[in-house]
Amino acid sequence: MSKKKVVTSGGIEVREKPLGLRIWNNRGYYVMFLPVLIFLLIMHYWPMLGVRYAFYDYKPVGDKVFVGFDHFTKMFSTPAFWTAFWNTLQLSIANLVLTNVSAVVVSIFLNEMKNLFAKKTLQTVIYLPHFMSWAVVASIFSLFLSPSSTGMVNGLLRDWGILKEADKNIYFLASTTWWRPIYWFIQVWKETGWGTIIYLATLSGINPELYEAADIDGATRMQKIRFVTLPALTNTIITVLILNLAKVMNLFESVFVLYNNAVFEVSDVIATYIYRQTFAIALPNYGYSTAVGLFRSLVGCVLVLICNYASKRVRGRGIV
Amino acid sequence: MKKKALSLLLASTMVISLTACGGGGDNASSSSSNNSNDAAASNSSSNDAASGDTAASNDAAGDTASGEKPDYHEVLKDGITVVVNGTLTASVDNGQADFEKQWEEAVGIDLTIQQLDHSGYTDAVGRLFASQDYPDAMIMSAEMFKQYAPTGLLWDMADAYANAEFQSRITLPAINENMKDAEGHLYAFAPAYGNGCVTYVKKAWLDAVGINIDDVKTYDDYYNMLKAFHDGDPDGNGVDGDTYGVVAAGFIGTEAPWINYLPEFWQDAFPAIYQKEDGSWVDGFQEDATKEALLRMQQAYKDGAIDPETLTASTKIAREKWFSNDQKGSSGVFTYWAGTWYRTLTDNLIKNEVNEELVQLPPIQEIKNSVGGYLNREAPVWVIIDQGDPVHNQAVFDALLDTMLDGDVVQTLWVYGAEDVHWSTKAEEFTTNPGTDKAQDYSYEEGVFHLKPSPNDPNTVWKKNYIDPALAISPLTNGFNDQDELAAAGNKFFTENCVDAPATPVSETFTNESGTIHDAKMAVITAVVVDGGDVESAMQTYVDTVGSIIDQCLTELNAAQ
Repeated sequence: MSKKKVVTSGGIEVREKPLGLRIWNNRGYYVMFLPVLIFLLIMHYWPMLGVRYAFYDYKPVGDKVFVGFDHFTKMFSTPAFWTAFWNTLQLSIANLVLTNVSAVVVSIFLNEMKNLFAKKTLQTVIYLPHFMSWAVVASIFSLFLSPSSTGMVNGLLRDWGILKEADKNIYFLASTTWWRPIYWFIQVWKETGWGTIIYLATLSGINPELYEAADIDGATRMQKIRFVTLPALTNTIITVLILNLAKVMNLFESVFVLYNNAVFEVSDVIATYIYRQTFAIALPNYGYSTAVGLFRSLVGCVLVLICNYASKRVRGRGIV
Repeated sequence: MKKKALSLLLASTMVISLTACGGGGDNASSSSSNNSNDAAASNSSSNDAASGDTAASNDAAGDTASGEKPDYHEVLKDGITVVVNGTLTASVDNGQADFEKQWEEAVGIDLTIQQLDHSGYTDAVGRLFASQDYPDAMIMSAEMFKQYAPTGLLWDMADAYANAEFQSRITLPAINENMKDAEGHLYAFAPAYGNGCVTYVKKAWLDAVGINIDDVKTYDDYYNMLKAFHDGDPDGNGVDGDTYGVVAAGFIGTEAPWINYLPEFWQDAFPAIYQKEDGSWVDGFQEDATKEALLRMQQAYKDGAIDPETLTASTKIAREKWFSNDQKGSSGVFTYWAGTWYRTLTDNLIKNEVNEELVQLPPIQEIKNSVGGYLNREAPVWVIIDQGDPVHNQAVFDALLDTMLDGDVVQTLWVYGAEDVHWSTKAEEFTTNPGTDKAQDYSYEEGVFHLKPSPNDPNTVWKKNYIDPALAISPLTNGFNDQDELAAAGNKFFTENCVDAPATPVSETFTNESGTIHDAKMAVITAVVVDGGDVESAMQTYVDTVGSIIDQCLTELNAAQ
């Protein structure tokens, strides 16, 4: 049996070395990789064995009892689960679109600013909210939006005559009409600045000759944005959208700190649903929570595959 | 070659760092185990040394016992581990080490306290159990206890309780007797009764709107008071309508007895599964009384009698709004825990420079005529985890629970905390808030029992440790008493005006679905009270959503009768 042959970078055909020899020759790299491999196995793969509990009744006390697909049957027949599922998709996808659109608009605006000091100052100001914890953000907005007489927004609405004397203050965070717009507004306020970094990096890489050529052709500022800047950003926008689409099922913290019982209908997401099923009950059934979590992971996995396919179609290469 | 050497060096560094992490853990655990061994050793030596007072009390316990009891010093040589929540106020930064040390000296065995986050206690306990990490004993709320009682995890302490040394001193035997199940099993022990909430009203606000608290006797009187607080200017800032009547942490509580934060609105309604006098279990949330209560709250919400933030406020937010420095947006009425909280609320009003005088509103006529008074919740309890060894379980009871009500040294630890840390009998003088207009001097002679400044807040005098002195089912016999005047008055007022809350149901379906049921109730309350919706259609939605679950719970509960 003839040995497999490979072509070296110099164009010479040689016999491929045996696997053992190749490993020995590169033993330094393998040893270097070993801790990472151990870390991955322990921290990422070993816990995956826990998914088997999705098929068990698993409570803090007592034996684990195999129940097959019972938890999934219960999950699919529970209206609260489906509410949470659709809310997750709607809130996440809208988040994705809104924060990216606003990041693109702000990036272009920053790119057009000529005053460097003003540009840097503005950048710093819009980056700051990203570094605030969600708990702090929720506290601040709860105070601003309070329905009591101390609420700033309601006070302004009243001062401006939008709320009449007979009108009740608006309870923004407990209103099914207002909760989502407020949530999206907070998301955009918090994450737009951070989102501009990648777009500004792309914009700084656009060849200045393209703008010079557009100037010679007599293009206005808006025409330069439309025909030079935006096309240059398109690939980045699509890449960011695709990469983030895979994470849409991970929504938790931002919702958890802002939602309440009054708005579950429009705000409860899969992760908060799991949280309540696990931590708001004295004797929780971890099996059911695991089943819901497993379903969420499967949907996330499908989304990753869809993104990979979309990436291949758009960019010519996948993301995994 | 250099690359290989570098890569090997990097790899070695990473491996060593990983090993170091693991090693650190090992060291930590071995160190901790060494520490506990050391502690045990020092305890055993201190036990030997402490053959004076300690041994005397232990001997006394031994003598009182039937004679068949094993010596817990022998059985619990390795000490005991207890899990507690925030109700043990001697926390790690508030003198817990001293409490623990003095308890060990008094009882003669090693004690390990694992104090979990109070607000996340229920789920933290669930995680402990799921990881098979069982303590010897622990604190549970009444609701938690009811759910864990049928699991077989808890030790039946009925005999131990019956033969306990403290039996001769118990003044409120019904508290624990009522916890026995139909077969006479007693899976928990309550050293104090449950306590409940009473309605506090700001005296200055009453004066500002010209209402005498003695005239507030019916719901109409109460409601008119709330309206006056909203429509008038009780905070004196010159603006009418920027204050509210009452604020609460939710229109319905998150734990039994559910209605204690707004009892005047709920009146005879009990919006949860409860047992009627004939023994049958029903869902009180679907009863007409609940619908009427919701309509009362709907009107109050519309009129501004209830602070709108009541829907989402936590207890902390509701409290802080009530005693905040800026009284704009605050409320005149707050229904909250009786006794020690009377003093705490007053202290906070003083701290925030708000007129601190509070009056306690006796139950209104509608409450007196239906329920009978404010609800005394089911008591939080201690449970012993069944280790499968009756001798060990009995020893834990003797060492931990029997001594907890010894009337003397150990009970003082649980009631007031550690000597010379939380309290003292030595002559001393101290001043709280020195150098301010709120400064208060304290002076005590030698031999006079008194509470000291809190270890973590020297400007506040320590109030109690775990057992509220006014709530204990067995009093201290050593004469130590330094209960605050307001707290004592609050406890007296509550005990004169309370009735026991209905028992929490125990059913497998209820255990699994209590969260879903609560969410459905909240949807109804929001739809009716906040959105002003029709109560009948909201209730129909409730029935459509969780009706079958409720029916299943009731079937299980009634079948168990």
